[in-house]
Amino acid sequence: MTRAQPKAKTPTSASSLSVAPSRYRTRTTVVRDLWPYVAVAPAFLTFVLLLGIPVVMLFLTSAQHFGLFELFNNVTTYVGLDNYYNLIFKSPAGLPDFPTVLLRTIVFMVVNVALTITLGTLVALLLAKLDRWVRLVLTSAMVLAWAMPVVTGAVLFQWLFDSKLGVVNWAISSLGIFGDYLNHSWFATGLTTFAVITLLIVWQAIPFVALSLYAGILSIPKELPEAARVDGASERQIFSNITLPAIRPLLLMLIFLSVIWDFKVFTQVYAMRMGGPDNQTITLSLYSQQLGINQHQFGVAAAAAVIMMLLLLFVLVPYIRRMIKTQEEL
Amino acid sequence: MSRRTRRVVINGIGILVALFFAFPVYWMVNTAFKSPDQFQTYTPVFIPIPTLDNFIKALGQQNLPLLVRNSVFVSASTVLLSLVVGFLAAVTLARVKFRGRGWFLLLVAVAQMAPFEALLIPIFLEIRNGLPGPLSILPVGYNQVPTLILIYFIFTLPFTIWSLRGFVAGIPVDLEEAAMVDGASHFQAFMKVTLPLLAPGLVATSIFCFITAWNEYLYAYTFMSDTTNYTLPVWLVSFQTNFGTDWGATMAASTLFTLPVLIFFLVVQRRMVGGLTTGAVRG
Repeated sequence: MTRAQPKAKTPTSASSLSVAPSRYRTRTTVVRDLWPYVAVAPAFLTFVLLLGIPVVMLFLTSAQHFGLFELFNNVTTYVGLDNYYNLIFKSPAGLPDFPTVLLRTIVFMVVNVALTITLGTLVALLLAKLDRWVRLVLTSAMVLAWAMPVVTGAVLFQWLFDSKLGVVNWAISSLGIFGDYLNHSWFATGLTTFAVITLLIVWQAIPFVALSLYAGILSIPKELPEAARVDGASERQIFSNITLPAIRPLLLMLIFLSVIWDFKVFTQVYAMRMGGPDNQTITLSLYSQQLGINQHQFGVAAAAAVIMMLLLLFVLVPYIRRMIKTQEEL
Repeated sequence: MSRRTRRVVINGIGILVALFFAFPVYWMVNTAFKSPDQFQTYTPVFIPIPTLDNFIKALGQQNLPLLVRNSVFVSASTVLLSLVVGFLAAVTLARVKFRGRGWFLLLVAVAQMAPFEALLIPIFLEIRNGLPGPLSILPVGYNQVPTLILIYFIFTLPFTIWSLRGFVAGIPVDLEEAAMVDGASHFQAFMKVTLPLLAPGLVATSIFCFITAWNEYLYAYTFMSDTTNYTLPVWLVSFQTNFGTDWGATMAASTLFTLPVLIFFLVVQRRMVGGLTTGAVRG
């Protein structure tokens, strides 16, 4: 079907792409020109009102001194870039300083993306090699993890890693290789709390990556790796010369998506330990939320969110470009 | 290594990986059916003697019927609103070449990737102030459940348009034209030919919207202050905090909350793969 579509773009059948065939043109010129706009107007207005205005407001708020006083009295005091200056050079009471949080968020994101993509690719390659019934078992297991609501995942992982009764501590202790883990508290330090959060995120993200890549691998013509094998190529050579080039565009999209998702992630981190212990797992989105909603420093919180958004643009712009490009080809 | 042992080893690894993904889910359900003496042990019980006590306890929570109603009401309204507005835009984008179509498509793609975690502050300030002018009669504001519908509507609308547009574009116009040659009006042709073919796409998109609204935590947690206005995710997290040691009841609540999502997800899973990356392989 998709192969045949470029044909439709030839002049002879161009009119068939449009709902308004030429024979209508003489009768209802005005209506014909207007109705597509009427049809997209509700969606367009929604974007402007519910998305456009908040984005503009975000930038404006980040340039205002905005606390409870301003909120209740509807006063606007512009302070230029003061919020950004304060954010970067002064640390707010009760929260870690901004550079620490930013660095922490970036490291956290890189670790999560690297693990998700590497393991996801390995699972995709594994899927391609499995017997049919094992593949079905693995796919079903992955769909279970993928479908789980994030909130449930966060609650469940706290139970798995519970210090006293958690099954993980029991399993590690029974293995005997790492010593006695009974009563080991995973949520006592920031690093081990992050480890549990990362495990949760990666556990839920691998299925999407692996199944997407597996679909990509399936679309490679079977003759290519077979011919290479006949010519004596090793599995590794087949991967780097046939499989990888074929799935590279897909892989890139998945990396972009993972970077975006893991950089701005809120629920998994917050629902696990609400940024604790001792604020050690506060990442950028939690930071902005805590500054604004809890401490009522809306201006500074908005500045943090603006920085987060601008950093995301580095990945969003190329991602959206590719997204548009592939859609236009359809 | 012989071919046979190789297969056994590879399939063995496959089973181990499957266990890694399935075990936590199994453990949730398993704990939900345990009596306290079965989950409060250092040596875990892998196959419990099942009891429904935890489910009874979780379901007996005060206000729960109200919260289920909140969640269902918000999610269903989101689906309805998104589908109606999204469908109009999607059909137009797929079938009509109008000036500005490319720009609108770009707007949808950008909106789809909007980082709502970064927009919490301005949306919070707007909601606190209430809607401007004549819109202020709507029950939208801080601690008012319908607010969430509006927020989830903008969360899901871009995807709805994007996804439905793809489904409509996948149905050849020739089919409609054939019906029109046979005497159907344009509207009839669309309703009788295209719409039935579109049904799976509508179902898949609705389910996606439903799951998004059903699972959302950050905005529900920020905007709903009365416990009677919570949605289920907010309740689940606070349930776990309040009943920290009663893991049986917590896991029963988690299982119940997850069940509808799981069922819906299984229906659309095949369509979700590739939804966000369509065309990337062929590119």
